[in-house]
Amino acid sequence: MTRPPSHDAAIAARKTDPSRWLPMVFIAPVTLYLLAFQFYPLLQQFFLSVTSTSLLNPGSSTFVGADNYRELLTDPEFGQSLRVTVVYTVICVVGSIFLGLMAALLLDRPFRGRGLARALVTVPWAAPPVAAALIFTWMYNAQYGLFSRLAQFFGFASGGVNWLDEPSMALPAILITTLWQIFPFSAVVILAALQGVPSELREAAVIDGADRFSVFKAVVWPTIRPTVTLLTLLITVWSLRRFDVIWLMTQGGPLGETNTLVIDLYRRAFVYLDLGKAAAVGVIGLVIAVLVTVVYFWVSQRTEAATGKR
Amino acid sequence: MARFHPFHAAAVLAVLGVAVFPLYWMFVTSLTPSDQLFADRPQLLPSLAQLPTYIEAWSGTSLRHWLFNSIIVAVGTTALSIVLAILPAYALSRMDFKGKLLFGFALFLTQMLPEAMLVVPLYDIFTKLSLLNTLLGLILANAAFTVPVVTWILKGAIDAVPYEIEEAARIDGCSRIGIVLAVVVPLIAPTLAAAAVIAFFHGWNEYVFAQTFISDDQWRTASVGLASFIGELSTPVHTVMAVGFIYTVPAVVFYLFVQRYVVAGMTSGGVKG
Repeated sequence: MTRPPSHDAAIAARKTDPSRWLPMVFIAPVTLYLLAFQFYPLLQQFFLSVTSTSLLNPGSSTFVGADNYRELLTDPEFGQSLRVTVVYTVICVVGSIFLGLMAALLLDRPFRGRGLARALVTVPWAAPPVAAALIFTWMYNAQYGLFSRLAQFFGFASGGVNWLDEPSMALPAILITTLWQIFPFSAVVILAALQGVPSELREAAVIDGADRFSVFKAVVWPTIRPTVTLLTLLITVWSLRRFDVIWLMTQGGPLGETNTLVIDLYRRAFVYLDLGKAAAVGVIGLVIAVLVTVVYFWVSQRTEAATGKR
Repeated sequence: MARFHPFHAAAVLAVLGVAVFPLYWMFVTSLTPSDQLFADRPQLLPSLAQLPTYIEAWSGTSLRHWLFNSIIVAVGTTALSIVLAILPAYALSRMDFKGKLLFGFALFLTQMLPEAMLVVPLYDIFTKLSLLNTLLGLILANAAFTVPVVTWILKGAIDAVPYEIEEAARIDGCSRIGIVLAVVVPLIAPTLAAAAVIAFFHGWNEYVFAQTFISDDQWRTASVGLASFIGELSTPVHTVMAVGFIYTVPAVVFYLFVQRYVVAGMTSGGVKG
């Protein structure tokens, strides 16, 4: 982000501004709102996490100190959920950026109907996640789903494949759905960044006899790298947050193979009715969110400074 | 126009095929007779004779009520987040104040929090405020997640407004809030529209809160209504797919029209920060 050209004028104006409380008035409503619906609930989450509370009887909760956290540390289900979260997030980030980059490079070259093609590629991003879960669940249907029929057709599995109920297939099935939904976003954002690639430099490199990959490495990649960095962070955050598609397709199963942190939290609260333990998972998730935020904030401020100087 | 590369054309078609196919399949499934759905060979083309499925989906399910609720929630979420976000966005862009970095960081942090993480405490708060089973509750919960994004996007747009324009209004004796509303807001209208669309989609698609806070069928949103069909066998598959298609296509078509602005908004504010 570039600073406004007359930033100095803005600073001068501010110094003569008699009302130093005005900014406070400007941020007060949103601050109160977020305190009520984000930060107060977070605080409550923290208090819940040191109690033993059942969803059936939230009124009678007993203080148990760090017990919930201690038990989580030795709970194999929780350990598994952390592993699943890491695998899911890493594959979402790497996969969607790779696919997005490939699609963006394809759609960056001029051809007839490019505008339409660029619009169509964003369709999955625009489709509601619940609808994506619905159609993919149908396509994964063990007997009548398209994927099972294809597998049968090519002779892989005569009896059909139980994608979502098969422990080794469930996470890949979820990942395919997720990647389908998010790769268009990477593609569109990288496409926007590709506009910044200086065409003279690219042409000069081609005239010098550089092959396509060297041009990419020397000219294209340096231009889009800040965008890719921020995409990485953004998709990390989204993957850590994603609930709807996973919950609707597998509810974290089979055998916890798709049990990410937020699914684990929701299960503990609304299936096992253990609010205290669920809150403890939430607090651990909060710590992870704060760490990611610090990195995100730091990187985007640095990018802002870097692009501002250019 | 560049030379025609068969490989390039094939690759582009493959990407578009992957992107569009599942929605096409939803459409085909909705227009396949029930008995054909379970036949040995899947039907690859929609049969127009099945069009009455759509009448059935429209009048035989609660779809109309769900869509209506979804529209209320999405519009409410959009309006509330825009109203709340304009002034802080201006403050972040133009003013210096104590705690600005902390405020910015807090906004960022709320963008990182999973909705599922706040479901339990919000459920508790809404019980006390009698907001369970209300669309207002959903709007309040959703906007808490869209306000920070919208604020950052608008901040990015305000950064690009030349300060001199405001200065002129200021000399004319306009108050600061007057300047924001009468001068800045019209100038950032395209970004404002983009932010509104992003908030609208969030409200339209939201599932966790709607699933947890609403138990009366009367107040269900379309996402939850549609989700109730997943894995359930009593409703015919082609009707379910028709419902899904009716829920999906307006959103996709709307998105295709506004796509350019949304991408500009996301890249100027949401992504770059």
